[in-house]
Amino acid sequence: MAAVNQDNTLVVATTTAPSNSKQSQPRAKTVDSQSVLKRLQSELMALMMSGDSGISAFPEEDNIFCWKGTIIGSKDTVFEGTEYRLSLTFPNDYPFKPPKVKFETLCFHPNVDLVGNICLDILQDKWSSAYDVRTILLSIQSLLGEPNISSPLNNQAAQLWSNQDDYRKMVEKLYKSPKA
Amino acid sequence: MADSISSVCNLAILDKLSDGSIEEILESYNGFCAATDTLLNGAGDLSVGPQFVSHVHGLCKHGLESLLRDHFLGALERTFEKNGALKFWRHFEAFNDVSVEEEVFYNALEEISLEKQYQEKCLLILVHALQSYNHGSHDSNDYRVELFAKYQMSVSSVLMATLPRHFPEILHWYFKGRLEELSTIMGGDFPHDDDDDDDDKDDMDLDDKCKASYRSGQMEIDECYPQGRFLENNKLVNNIGKVVRDLRSLGFTSMTEDAYASAIFLFLKAKVHDLAGDDYRISVLESIKGWIQAVPLQFLHALLAYLGDSVSYDSVSSGLKSPLASCPSTFYPGIDTPSEGLVRWQLRLEYFAYETLQDLRITKLFEIIVDYPDSSPAIEDLKQCLEYTGQHSKLVESFISALRYRLLTAGASTNDILHQYVSTIKALRTIDPAGVFLEAVGEPIRDYLRGRKDTIKCIVTMLTDGTGGNPNVSGNTGDSLLEELNRDEENQENAGLDDDFHTDDKQAWINASRWEPDPVEADPLKGSRNRRKVDILGMIVGIIGSKDQLVNEYRVMLAEKLLNKSDYDIDTEIRTLELLKIHFGESSMQKCEIMLNDLIDSKRTNGNIKATITQTSQAGSELGDNGVSMDVFDATIISSNFWPQIQDESLNVPGPVDQLLSDYAKRFNEIKTPRKLLWKKSLGTVKLELQFEDRAVQFVVAPVHAAIIMQFQDQTSWTSKSLAAAIGVPTDILNRRINFWISKGILAESLGADSDDHVFTLMEGMVDSGKNGGTNGSIEDLIVADEEGESSVASVEDQLRKEMTVYEKFILGMLTNFGSMALDRIHNTLKMFCIADPPYDKTLQQLQSFLTGLVSEEKLELRDGMYFLKK
Repeated sequence: MAAVNQDNTLVVATTTAPSNSKQSQPRAKTVDSQSVLKRLQSELMALMMSGDSGISAFPEEDNIFCWKGTIIGSKDTVFEGTEYRLSLTFPNDYPFKPPKVKFETLCFHPNVDLVGNICLDILQDKWSSAYDVRTILLSIQSLLGEPNISSPLNNQAAQLWSNQDDYRKMVEKLYKSPKA
Repeated sequence: MADSISSVCNLAILDKLSDGSIEEILESYNGFCAATDTLLNGAGDLSVGPQFVSHVHGLCKHGLESLLRDHFLGALERTFEKNGALKFWRHFEAFNDVSVEEEVFYNALEEISLEKQYQEKCLLILVHALQSYNHGSHDSNDYRVELFAKYQMSVSSVLMATLPRHFPEILHWYFKGRLEELSTIMGGDFPHDDDDDDDDKDDMDLDDKCKASYRSGQMEIDECYPQGRFLENNKLVNNIGKVVRDLRSLGFTSMTEDAYASAIFLFLKAKVHDLAGDDYRISVLESIKGWIQAVPLQFLHALLAYLGDSVSYDSVSSGLKSPLASCPSTFYPGIDTPSEGLVRWQLRLEYFAYETLQDLRITKLFEIIVDYPDSSPAIEDLKQCLEYTGQHSKLVESFISALRYRLLTAGASTNDILHQYVSTIKALRTIDPAGVFLEAVGEPIRDYLRGRKDTIKCIVTMLTDGTGGNPNVSGNTGDSLLEELNRDEENQENAGLDDDFHTDDKQAWINASRWEPDPVEADPLKGSRNRRKVDILGMIVGIIGSKDQLVNEYRVMLAEKLLNKSDYDIDTEIRTLELLKIHFGESSMQKCEIMLNDLIDSKRTNGNIKATITQTSQAGSELGDNGVSMDVFDATIISSNFWPQIQDESLNVPGPVDQLLSDYAKRFNEIKTPRKLLWKKSLGTVKLELQFEDRAVQFVVAPVHAAIIMQFQDQTSWTSKSLAAAIGVPTDILNRRINFWISKGILAESLGADSDDHVFTLMEGMVDSGKNGGTNGSIEDLIVADEEGESSVASVEDQLRKEMTVYEKFILGMLTNFGSMALDRIHNTLKMFCIADPPYDKTLQQLQSFLTGLVSEEKLELRDGMYFLKK
């Protein structure tokens, strides 16, 4: 007996186009609002689909330039079990300029002042259009656990940081859940 | 009144009466009474007349005129009651059921009429006597009119008072019987279509011979009207006329009219039912109209003429012609000009006929539409009836309930429902071009179809496939609904263009004068009649809600079809796509177009690669015995971004084939740098031939089946585990797929050492006994392996589930950041920000049910109308 492949007709193949990520290549400085809108929408989609735990953000009802964000304190840090509300405001020339990010809930942290301003390099001079909402939120989340003590906005917090137990108590004392 | 006045006078003269005159009065009175009795009971003997007259004169002298009149009338009444009424009713007593013999009826009438005539004669004697006494002082007619009116009244009151309950029915049956007789006589007289001979009624068979001569046409009927029958007919009508007149004279005017009217209507109704029947392929309206003119109108005409009504009608109402009367006089055989009474009757009868036919058709509308377009004559009839009666709402109600009961049930297949829906649209478009009622009727069907899962699939199949996926549909096979729609559209558009070309003032005026208001039932929100052009495709898409879903489903189906093609012949697909583009627009069909272009490109690239690769391989090493030549290999190269998600299963193809694939891919990469080929090895088809010692069998199978059978080339027995490892698929999948070969009798399965490890052995000596015909069926065996319902492309349901996951993430995302939100706000937010592919297009209700689902999955919480994340 012999099984002979007499006529092997069709096998389906897919082509993969070489990847070119548009998002990482700022082509021109002139951005119309349409492309900003598009970018924010696709960032939202990516963020929603990414499923990262502990970070989230969503545009406010009628304005895609204003987002509300949520960060949950990472495990094994003094911020474990806390949840912070943030606001993100995107400029019209986003992503060439960074968004303004503030804590809405009081956050006792060396690099966050009492009105919620954040001192984070990628939100200032180190900004790149390759960053997006997701990376910003992840950066802030990791900033919580690893503050930059050398340039504090909140000196009291910076001093207390070395004593993690006391710091934890302070966080718990000042913490108010954003859910109201 | 007159009585009381005269009695007052009598009182005045009472005093002056002398004994002598009293004596005289008494004598006269007794004489009068006796004479009256003799006269009335005299059985036609009028000899007492002169004596009677002298007594009357004697009494009148004393001013007792009113007394004697009263007495006489009373005596008349009593006698009538005794001699006339009682006898009359006795005739009918025997017939408690209503079937009275004609003879009996005639006799009874004759008798009572004679009695009445005699009494009238007696009354006349009295009148004459009074007249002769009062000679000159009174208008002679006064007595006559007054007395006869009183008499008439007493007669009818006597009869009415003694009326047996079943008498109206007797009348009714009498007229019915006569009408039937008449109809038999006139049977051949109304226009008959040649093709409805088969439902000729019994009563017509009687004069089949005569009928044949009328076939030639209506105009001739008049000319060759057989005198004999007309006379016979006239005799019958005269008889009836006489009966009616007699009855009228007895005071049964209204009862008689009721009786013959109801008999006519019932008869007409029966006729309509007879003619209309259950055959929807012929129009019956004309023959019904013809019949109305031939039978009932003839009858009525003769009757009215006999009774002399038509004349009086004409003379009375010539001044105030109703608009109805002004309609052009239709052709009445044997009638010169129809009287107004007759016209009125005609209108009544026709309305009734229309209504009856309409009701009949409406109750059967469901069947009619099932038979559409064969049943279009019935639809056309119904349309005319409805125009006349305006009872469209009846149609809507009855049809909807029929739909609910017969179509929108679990037992009906989606395809059937869709076909009925399309037929309904087409049929109702004829009845109601504005589409107002269609809107109402279509709604339940649409609602129901939305609840079915396979609706979209069926719609797409119906649109694009010739038979619409329904093998029962005969006729225009090979012609998809889409093509048909397109033809219609072109026709409509052409017609529209014509209109545009002639938009001069005249045309504009004509258009304006043709304007008709929307039917009252029209929903003002639905736009005006002009914009509401019935668009079948639109209504079908309306079922689904959005064309995107439909396009998506089509894309999946197209992908499936294209992936299973082994040649690159896509002409029909291109044609369908072009048609779809016309309806859905270029942009929404873009992906499908790319898919088709992929196929075209594949053909070119495939040819190119194979041409170049053969050269190199020939220059290099020759392929071994087991090697597969590139000639037999074709690849479909797709741009996966634009294709629906493709189910990918791992599969180790046999070595030589694998070699071929990588050669091919390499060559592709050389030609199309920087593009690379990623093989989907589980897709495609393999044509192969199995050669046994005594024969060869050909198959067309999926690659996985080919891979399985190829393993048996060198080793005739495998355990399922080792075989699964060899071809790189999970064991359970292997066990499922290998059934194909077992069912073909190529492999045999037996239990191995391990309980869940089966052993498959190649059956060398083919067991063609029983197993679907073996060798001679080798051509039939060229079937694509049954995929057990598995498709290579993710179905729309899968896509839907995926879509819903996106929404779920969005909803969770927004609730994380906003705490709590109401349904409305979630809906709006999704609408605004969820611009995925496809974008959020659900209704508020759909969202709500989805959210309810999430609540029950304990992902969300609902409190006071606000949704929360479940902590």
